[in-house]
Amino acid sequence: MRMHLIQKLELFPDHRVTQMLFKEVKNAAELKKSAMEGKINGALINPTMLVDPFQVLVAANKAVHLEKVEKMKTRTLYSEIIFNLSPTNNISDAFKRFGISDGDDSVLIVMVDSKDESQDVSDIAARVEGRQVPVEELSSLSDHTKIKKLYKVTPQEEKCGSLLDAVVCRMATKDVMTGLLPAPLLFFGHSLNVPFCPLEQFKC
Amino acid sequence: MARENNMAVPEFLREAELLKQGAEARVYRAEFLGRPTIVKERFPKRYRHPALDEKLTHRRTVQEVRAILRCRRAGISAPVVYFVDYTCHCIFLEEIVGSSTVRDYIASAQQSDSCKELKLQRLAERVGQVLAKMHDEDVIHGDLTTSNMLLRPSPEGGESDLVLIDFGLSYISALPEDKGVDLYVLEKAFLSTHPNTEELFEKLLKSYKASSKKSSAVIKKLDEVRLRGRKRSMVG
Repeated sequence: MRMHLIQKLELFPDHRVTQMLFKEVKNAAELKKSAMEGKINGALINPTMLVDPFQVLVAANKAVHLEKVEKMKTRTLYSEIIFNLSPTNNISDAFKRFGISDGDDSVLIVMVDSKDESQDVSDIAARVEGRQVPVEELSSLSDHTKIKKLYKVTPQEEKCGSLLDAVVCRMATKDVMTGLLPAPLLFFGHSLNVPFCPLEQFKC
Repeated sequence: MARENNMAVPEFLREAELLKQGAEARVYRAEFLGRPTIVKERFPKRYRHPALDEKLTHRRTVQEVRAILRCRRAGISAPVVYFVDYTCHCIFLEEIVGSSTVRDYIASAQQSDSCKELKLQRLAERVGQVLAKMHDEDVIHGDLTTSNMLLRPSPEGGESDLVLIDFGLSYISALPEDKGVDLYVLEKAFLSTHPNTEELFEKLLKSYKASSKKSSAVIKKLDEVRLRGRKRSMVG
């Protein structure tokens, strides 16, 4: 049985998104370091902040699109995927919440491959000291209370749709919601787009 | 320019099923990220100056997306936004699968005779409640018609869910004037689409009044607007 979830992006037919989920991970700190050094060509995501693999697919599609139109807010495709998951425009905040931390015991790895650049999935999987499980098990790891709080999902909203709907809607529309933020926050968010972002995990 | 070198969406739409073409946008049906999706494309208007066209189109796309999110946050059903492409002004929305428009529902209920009164009255009440909630959130839909309201069958087989669509002309306003005009537009559309429904529309307004906290000023404005029409008099 295949453990990875591979999906194509309809808008970018030569791009595929691969997701792999690991539990009982012992070397999160080492993986994070490798990713920061550019040795892992993928995004390492904290699965407790994810409701469903669809959320990652939405983030990856947006990242590939922004890369094509040269409008990425971060430096690499993988950092952009992590940034797109966050409801705010604060990059360091996005990494803190959606990236992995040293002590984490589970990790979701996302890779995007295109025709000109195919990825060795098994090579990355081999770096993880942990147990690979089907990506569908993601729902058992997600922390709904934390997710609702971060995305500010109201109880009324949950009546007219799922938590996943609410989350995806905020991810897709966050770039035009900046007008609703108080001005200082807006300024802070933009100031993080400069090259010395403190938590820039992924360098090319 | 980004618009030229980003051909992904135009190429994708070439394969998609065109559902409707209006003056403002084209609406397609396609599968996106594995889900049934509706794509609304605001195409360039050649009769406008390119800079003005770009600005107007961009603003309408943003307004539409904002209104949808604002409604959903308040618990009013509206399609989920999956993706927005601001370079070619396309919004990718959840397809409300298996739904029918309120327009078709009323038309077919008027044909059949079994307990139609009760069914239609319940629907009018529901519409009134949802619009009251929307106006209490200061969302003005801008194009209220019975075709822009969908009924989505509930999975448990209970009462179907009323979903508002097409927020293309919507904006945020707290003015009773704007809300009154919103209702006036609906009244005009409702009564011309569905003959002999004056009583039903009264029911809708009654339910609106009962549900909205700020309804009295809005209804007062509606009465004013009925006398003078949608446009405010510019005399004086």
